[in-house]
Amino acid sequence: MISSDILFQIFFWLLVTGVVTTILIPERWCPNVLAWFGSVAALALLLSAGTVLLGGDTFRFSLWTIPVLGTLELSLDKLSALFLVVTALIFLPVSVFSSGYLKHYLGHYSLKVFNIWYLSLFLSIGLILFASDVLMFLLAWEAMSILSYLLVNFEHRDEEHTAAGYLMLAMGEAGTLAAAIALLLLAIPADSLSFPALKSTSRGMSEGLQWAIFLLSFFGFGVKAGLAPFNAWLPRAHPVAPGNISALLSSVILNLGLYGIVRINMDILPMTMTGPGLITLIIGTVSAFVGILYATTKNDLKVMLAHSSIENIGIVTAGLGAGFVFTATGHTLIATIAFVAAFYHMANHSFYKALLFLSAATVDMKVGVRHLDQLGGLIRRMPLTALCFLAGALSISALPPFNGFVSEWLTLQTMLRSAELSSVSVKVVFALCGAILALTAALAVTCFVKAFAMGFLGISRSAHAEKTTEAARSMTSPMVVLMVFCLLLGVLPTFVISALDGVLKPITQASAVEALTPPFFATSPDHIKLKPEFAAEFRDLGAQVGQEVFPGQGLVVMHRGGEHNPVVFAMSTSYMFPVLIILLAIVFVVVRFGLARDRCVIRNQRWDGGIRRLLPEMTYTATGFSNPVRVIFDTILRPTTQDTQATVEAHFRAAIRRRREEVHIVDRSVITPLRSGALKIAYALAAMHHGRLNAYVGYGLLTLVLSLVLVLTVAG
Amino acid sequence: MTLDNIQEIAIRHWPDIKPRLDLSHSLCEMECELEDIPDVCKWLSLEMHYVFAGLIVEEGSSDWELRYVFYSDHEPGWIYILTHQPLSDPAFPSISGFLHAADWHEREAEDLFGLYFAGHPRLGDFVLHNERWQEKLRPMLHSFDGKKSVEHRMPDLEWKPNLIVKAPGAFGMTIGPKFSGVTEPVHFLLETVGEDVIRTIPRLFYKYRAIEKIAERLTTESTLLLAERFAATTAFAHSLAFVQSIENICGIKVPERAQVLRVLLAELERLRHHVGAVQEICESTALAVATSQAAIMEEELLRLSGWFTGHRYLFGLAVPGGLNKEFDDSVCHEAVQQAKAILKRFDRLEEMLRVSSSFLDRLEEVGIVNQLEAMKHGLVGPVARASGITRDLRKVQPYSGYEAYTFEVPCEQEGDGYARLRVLFEEARQSVKIMEQATASLPGGPVFSEVRIKPGSALGWVEAPRGAAFHWLRIGEDGRVSRYRLITPSFVNWHGFHVAAENFAFQDFPIILATFDLSVAENDR
Amino acid sequence: MSQWVRKGLATGIKTTCYPGREETAPGVSPGLPLGGDYPEKQASELVKRCTVGALSFQNHKLVVDYRRCVHCYRCIRGVTLPIAWQQGYEWATDTNIIETRKKFVRAFDRSLNIIVVDTGDCGACLNEVRQLNNPYYNMHRLGFFITPTPREADVLLIVGPLTDHMREPLRKVYDAIPMPKWVIAVGACALSGGVFSPSFVCDENISEFLPVDVEVPGQPPPPLAILHALLVVAGLKPPASLITQSVSLKHEEVKKQ
Repeated sequence: MISSDILFQIFFWLLVTGVVTTILIPERWCPNVLAWFGSVAALALLLSAGTVLLGGDTFRFSLWTIPVLGTLELSLDKLSALFLVVTALIFLPVSVFSSGYLKHYLGHYSLKVFNIWYLSLFLSIGLILFASDVLMFLLAWEAMSILSYLLVNFEHRDEEHTAAGYLMLAMGEAGTLAAAIALLLLAIPADSLSFPALKSTSRGMSEGLQWAIFLLSFFGFGVKAGLAPFNAWLPRAHPVAPGNISALLSSVILNLGLYGIVRINMDILPMTMTGPGLITLIIGTVSAFVGILYATTKNDLKVMLAHSSIENIGIVTAGLGAGFVFTATGHTLIATIAFVAAFYHMANHSFYKALLFLSAATVDMKVGVRHLDQLGGLIRRMPLTALCFLAGALSISALPPFNGFVSEWLTLQTMLRSAELSSVSVKVVFALCGAILALTAALAVTCFVKAFAMGFLGISRSAHAEKTTEAARSMTSPMVVLMVFCLLLGVLPTFVISALDGVLKPITQASAVEALTPPFFATSPDHIKLKPEFAAEFRDLGAQVGQEVFPGQGLVVMHRGGEHNPVVFAMSTSYMFPVLIILLAIVFVVVRFGLARDRCVIRNQRWDGGIRRLLPEMTYTATGFSNPVRVIFDTILRPTTQDTQATVEAHFRAAIRRRREEVHIVDRSVITPLRSGALKIAYALAAMHHGRLNAYVGYGLLTLVLSLVLVLTVAG
Repeated sequence: MTLDNIQEIAIRHWPDIKPRLDLSHSLCEMECELEDIPDVCKWLSLEMHYVFAGLIVEEGSSDWELRYVFYSDHEPGWIYILTHQPLSDPAFPSISGFLHAADWHEREAEDLFGLYFAGHPRLGDFVLHNERWQEKLRPMLHSFDGKKSVEHRMPDLEWKPNLIVKAPGAFGMTIGPKFSGVTEPVHFLLETVGEDVIRTIPRLFYKYRAIEKIAERLTTESTLLLAERFAATTAFAHSLAFVQSIENICGIKVPERAQVLRVLLAELERLRHHVGAVQEICESTALAVATSQAAIMEEELLRLSGWFTGHRYLFGLAVPGGLNKEFDDSVCHEAVQQAKAILKRFDRLEEMLRVSSSFLDRLEEVGIVNQLEAMKHGLVGPVARASGITRDLRKVQPYSGYEAYTFEVPCEQEGDGYARLRVLFEEARQSVKIMEQATASLPGGPVFSEVRIKPGSALGWVEAPRGAAFHWLRIGEDGRVSRYRLITPSFVNWHGFHVAAENFAFQDFPIILATFDLSVAENDR
Repeated sequence: MSQWVRKGLATGIKTTCYPGREETAPGVSPGLPLGGDYPEKQASELVKRCTVGALSFQNHKLVVDYRRCVHCYRCIRGVTLPIAWQQGYEWATDTNIIETRKKFVRAFDRSLNIIVVDTGDCGACLNEVRQLNNPYYNMHRLGFFITPTPREADVLLIVGPLTDHMREPLRKVYDAIPMPKWVIAVGACALSGGVFSPSFVCDENISEFLPVDVEVPGQPPPPLAILHALLVVAGLKPPASLITQSVSLKHEEVKKQ
């Protein structure tokens, strides 16, 4: 067995070799080189982080020392390992997918450049997660920001793409600045830049400083994570990026933002106040709601998925926020459960969003359009892609047995545990957030029913969609792999939970395994830390079925309330999955060999009201499907509509044109006021510049007096 | 302004006009040059405020004769604008650009006769659906044998509906031709972006039975059967219009008793129709008890008709020269008493509906047709009267002795669904009032006088329950029908339906449809 | 809203006693002319007056073709010796096809879902079908329901002559109804084209286009006659034999019953 630090070095050198190889080989080999180096490096990274995650030794080594600033350090603890495993599991299929996907850029854009950026991005992401000191972290972060900007703006000949790229870069830099200040504030008392040193001195920090660090880091990393209201860049950047990069952007880079928040606010400086936790919870919930609302109303496949990413990151953040509140109030067990839910959802989101983005990229590449109004009927022409998209849609809609269900279930259950908190106002916030998250889940179903039904079912609504074909195997097989991941994460939650618990145990000092997945299969009675009557009840319900066959941990996820609400909820997708399959099989057998045996089955056209021919323009569009949502949430969306009519011969109308424009609520309520505020200040200041010397001298004097007063107050 | 004044002004403007004044029938025919037609029509409709009743196309032996029929809302008087054009050159100027009511008339003439109306932007694919019929099939030409079946074209894969809404994600939601429970076949395309319907396109003539074609060469007796049966919910009104056209041709005075009885029957039919229309409105709002109440009254009126005349839909009563059946005075009194009793309950229903806020919410400000639009489309009947147009042929162009009765023409200004409902209720009251007057002054004498069919042509008109109906009849030298033109209220009101069905929420569609009180059978003919 | 509840209750039960007992209220049926033995002179005058060809004189008997009778009343009004007239409304007649489908009868003996297709009707037959839902006839009590979609229909009820434009929709509806299915043709127009045929738009009767199982003559047949047709389909009433059998025989049978 190769130790994880060696594997890390393999990962590092593979990527460096990849970059060098790219420079040497001809352009047309680039996609394959990318796929090979990317996927093998991902494998190495997976093994390296995987061993640590599942209980292997952590490692730490110093690179080189920079005078004044200190030593650059790399290390791997379980928290990093979790993010690295997810990153590696995403990069693996995405790299393979790229080999097929990138071919359509041949001759249009330089693939060498793409390869170099792509592999460097992978490396920088690895380094962010391995970084163990502020300098290393910030350097890698900057590299990642710039490389992701370059990749998003890869199709740089389009004006719109460049604008979106700039916005992303600018907002990212603002975030980096805030995050850097937060890290430096942490570093002041430690007098060192390495994370362990920061952690050791963080206790006993003043509340004001804690607030400052929280706000700065939450804003700084929140920008990268795409949380409202700092997410203006996200829905613009995703659709313009190449398909495989959008998948990475959503599934990996957004996670990095979360990693930053988690690293500072959970690991280095654990929460002691409820305020920041509540802010996190509220912002997460608002992001989730705003994200899904816009996802439901947007019909460009990639824009829709981008908004849906905001929603999912919002759900994760809400879980984190709940965890922060529980940590601060001393409910470590519930806090652990909340973090488990959040991390689980983060991992789930990475997998299904990658799956969905890859399917969308396939559709985009093969059909040439990705607006849902112009798609339709793709299931007959791209059955495998349709299946993959359906699996992704089921996962993201939180339908069992797929993975989204487990983590959303856990998150909502955790919200209910707020009953155990003492403060009424906090409880009210939890109740409201829980309700909004439930609404979010419902809208997510609407959104993805729309996406799948309008994209893949029905009649093709454009000539492009009519003549498309299934994608190459190099593109479909990674999607199938991701689909299997989604299913496995959904069917075997108890294993995932115990792995996540390993990550959290050192941080929260509590284990959620006993509470969430009690070992029903355990044979020795003392192993079961359940009340006997309770255990007996579960045994009667069949929790012990399969004890002989499967001598592992229980396959039931349970959520037990505390003393204040002793309600128990349990679910088991592991059991549900085979039962579902058996039931479907029974139905099939009964219908096929029982009921339908002596009946004649007449296959007929769909009933269309008796019209001569159902034309594509007579079928529902995605816009039409989601319009009720648009009407209901009119007050939030605030569209402006304008009808114009063209007539011939005074009374005959030739056209009714309806323009509908809406400004995203974040742009409207945050970005625009900020911009106009900044401009106003600038104009106000400009008024001071009128060229009179006396006035300037007066300004200087005023400043001097104010400074003196300030210094004296502080010194005094 | 009287007809002779109008004639004078017309001649002053257009010296080429050849007028013919027939004051005994308050009729003025003006033969115009082809190029003057648009100007004359424009002047007549916009300045003289004459209403366009319809376009009657006749294929003569050597030339086309187009007859634009106008009448006034305010005084008795008919104006026919006539023009002739050789058969070989069937091109005419379109007047529907400024006189929108002529739109569908021109489309129909183009589709069935092969005339061309220069300047009309929407010709073709109207009565004969283009996906099914050969282009250039002109069934109304004399040379076309209406009894033989014709070969159909192959399905037209190029056919597209004329969707004009240009908005992202807009589509045409299709309804019909077979939709809902017990409905007549129409195909609607609702142009929408989901929920909010922007525009409605009805596609009609699924029930096209070519009445005008098959009436050719028939005896008047057989044609009477067609007139009575093409739209049987208002059978008596249409049969009355038809027999009146024959009576006008032959110059017959119908016995007074028959005239009174005709009025009685026509108003009974109007009452029954309005009760049925109210029932459909209640049904469209899913107000179950009110629907049942109205349905009970409708069935009772049908039974009353059945008991009174032998047929629940008043078939086989009107004949040229009077009526086919004698009624005892006492029976008439009894019938009116029953109708009054039903009306009392109908009034009670109205009172209850007027205080049902959930019902009114669905009707008020739904399907609004303002007065201007109603004028523009030349709407008729209760629909027009709900939009502020007091248009009733019984008052302005009285027939069958209607001038002797005192009754009011209800008129509402709002033009919404509720206004149309109120008009229906008020008209039902007026109908019973007329029935009472009819039985009170029931003269004696025969109900039938012999008619000798003469060649000639004339217009018969009635205010059918749905509005003004015109039957133009030309009897040839052989005593058989040579041209029978039906202008029905539903044909006019369907044309204006799209005004009401614009920018509404999808769930209001059945209500708009029900309050508009349209008959497909009457339109499709 | 309580006013409607009170109103509904105060109205009481209006429903007809049919099919339990005979409905005798006046005006429920227009009746039909009655064939049989007539003096030749009278018969020939009647045949001449019948412009739709429903009457014919065969083997010294006046035969009424109920498929063609359109209730013009010309054989009873304005004529010196009118034809005999029968009231009644149990007119629905089954065709021979019914025998081959006997085994499906049980499938229908509880409830029927009916899809109504108007193929060019004048509005009267359609209105009479609509009356079946009113409190007087209330067909729901017998388990008959109107359905808007053919997918859940058992019975296709056709009114009106088959116009050219409605052929394709009708065919689509018929095809979309799952087996077993029955077809009821209602009204003289559906049975013979009525006054509208022959013409280039409706030149045949519906039984040439679809297999018709039950025929209801009359223009329009009153609601009770349509109800009778539904009861025949459900196997709750025997069919009449107006159309298939000799008319006078039928008359005697009615008397006997």
